[in-house]
Amino acid sequence: MNAPSSLALAVPALSLKDIGKHFDGLEALRGISLDVAKGEIVALLGTSGCGKSTLLNIVSGLLPADRGELRIDGQPAASFRDWRRIAYMFQEDRLLPWRSIRANVAFGLEAERSRRAERIVKAEQALRLVELDGFARAWPHQLSGGMRSRVALARSLVVEPQILLMDEPFSKLDPQTRAQMHQELLRLQRFKNITVVFVTHDVEEAVVLADRVVVLEPRPGRIRAIKPLDLPRPRIPTDLAVSEQVRQLRMAL
Amino acid sequence: MTMETAKRIVSLLLQRGVLIAVFLLLWWYAAVQLPSFVLPGPERVFSALVGLVHSVTFLHDLGATMGRVFSGFVLATLIGTPLGLALGSSRALARFFEPILAVLNTVSSAIWAIFAIIWFGISDATTIFVVFMTAMPLILTNVWQGAQTVERQFIDLARSFRMSRWQVLVKISLPSILPYFFSGARLAFGFGWRVSLVAETLGASDGIGYRLRQAADLVQSDQVFAWTLLLVALMLLLEAGVLKPLERWLFRWKTPSR
Repeated sequence: MNAPSSLALAVPALSLKDIGKHFDGLEALRGISLDVAKGEIVALLGTSGCGKSTLLNIVSGLLPADRGELRIDGQPAASFRDWRRIAYMFQEDRLLPWRSIRANVAFGLEAERSRRAERIVKAEQALRLVELDGFARAWPHQLSGGMRSRVALARSLVVEPQILLMDEPFSKLDPQTRAQMHQELLRLQRFKNITVVFVTHDVEEAVVLADRVVVLEPRPGRIRAIKPLDLPRPRIPTDLAVSEQVRQLRMAL
Repeated sequence: MTMETAKRIVSLLLQRGVLIAVFLLLWWYAAVQLPSFVLPGPERVFSALVGLVHSVTFLHDLGATMGRVFSGFVLATLIGTPLGLALGSSRALARFFEPILAVLNTVSSAIWAIFAIIWFGISDATTIFVVFMTAMPLILTNVWQGAQTVERQFIDLARSFRMSRWQVLVKISLPSILPYFFSGARLAFGFGWRVSLVAETLGASDGIGYRLRQAADLVQSDQVFAWTLLLVALMLLLEAGVLKPLERWLFRWKTPSR
C-alpha cells in the first residue's frame, strides 16, 4: 500500500512462519504466519484467550516458540542480536515510583553500557517528544494517568526502537485520554518510521490505528482473517467509513 | 513558612517546654523526699553530667560503645541482607530455615551475652556478638518480607529491556526492598544500642555499659542518672538529626498522604 518497492526495503521487519506454542499440553497458538512490513502498524485483534499476548511475547523474544520460524529484519531469531531495538509497552504504565520521570525514561537505556550524561540528554529528548519536558524532575505519583502513559511511551521510544510491541497499552485510560494517546502514537510512529504490532480486544482502537488488522480466534489461537484498512488518516471513530469498518470487523469476530 | 505552620511550631515548643518543667518539678520534689542514693536531685545529676563530659575517659568510653554497636550493626547488615534476599527469592529455602529464625527471635539478648562471655571473654567481640545476634534477625526478617513484595511487573519490565539478573537486582529488587530494610535497620539499631549496654556491663572493661555498672557498684546514683540522660539525648539527636532527614530524603518519592 504505502511500502516502497525497492528490493532492500522489501525485507519484512517481522516475519512469522507457522508459529506454534503449547502450555502444559494446552495448544495456545497454531500455525501463525504473518509478514509485517517496515513502518507498518498491525493490530492483533481477538477476544481473551486467543493467545494474542502469547504471540506478542514470542515476537519480543521473551518467550520461545515451540515450532515455526521467527525472522526479524530477515534474520532468524536465533542469530538476531539487536533485541534492544525491539521495545515492549505493557498494559500498565509500570513507572518505577522511586525514580523521577526523567530517570524512568532513562531506565530503558541502562541495560546497555552508556554514559550517564548521554542517557539524561536522550531521556530529555524523549520527554520533549511526548511534550512532558517540564516534568523531568517530577515523581510518577504527581502525574495523571494520561501523562504517565506518555512517559511510558517515551521510555519505549528512548531506545530508538525499530519495532514497537504493545500489549493493550492504553486500555487503562479513560476514552478521551485514550484517543489523545492514539494520535500521539501515530504522530511519533510516522516521525520515526517505527514498525508497530499491538494487541487489542477493542475493534475501534484497531481501526483507528492499524494499517492491517489480524483477527485471531481462540482455542487454539490462530488467524481467522487479515484485513487491510485503506482508510485515510486521521481516522475519527464517528466518521461513517470508520464506523462501517468497525461494524464489519465486529461481525468477523 | 505560612502563618499556620509557624503557629503550630510555637505551640509545640510551648507544650514540650511545659512537659520538661513538670518533669523537672516532680523529679526535684521526689528527690527532696528520698535519700540521694535512691534518687539524686536534678542539680546533682547535672553537675555529675558536667563532670562526666569533662572526665578523661568520657570520649574513650563513648567511642568504645559506639564502635561496638556500629561493628555489630554493620556485620548484621552485611550478613542479614543477603540472607533475607536469598530467603525471599526461594520459597523452599524460606520454609526450610523459618524455624531457625523463630528460635533466634525468642532467645533473649541476656542469654547471648552470657554465651558471648563464655566464648569471647572480656573483649570487644562479646558486645559486638550480642549486638549482631539481636540486630541480624530483625534485618533479615524485614529484607525477606520486602523481597516478597517486589513486583513481578517491574521485573518483567526490566527483562523486556534485556537487563541482566544483576541489573534486575540492583535496579528493581533493592529499591523495592529499601523501605523494609530501612525500618528493619532502624529497629535493629535501636535494639542493638540498648543490648550493647547490657553486654558491656557483663563483658567489657570500658564503654558506657561498663561505666554504668561501675557507678552502680559504687552507689554513685548521680553518675547512673547522668549517663542515662546523656544516652537519651544522644538517641534523640540521632533520630532527629540523622534518621528522620535520611528517611525523608530516601523516600521523597512516596505520596505525601502515606
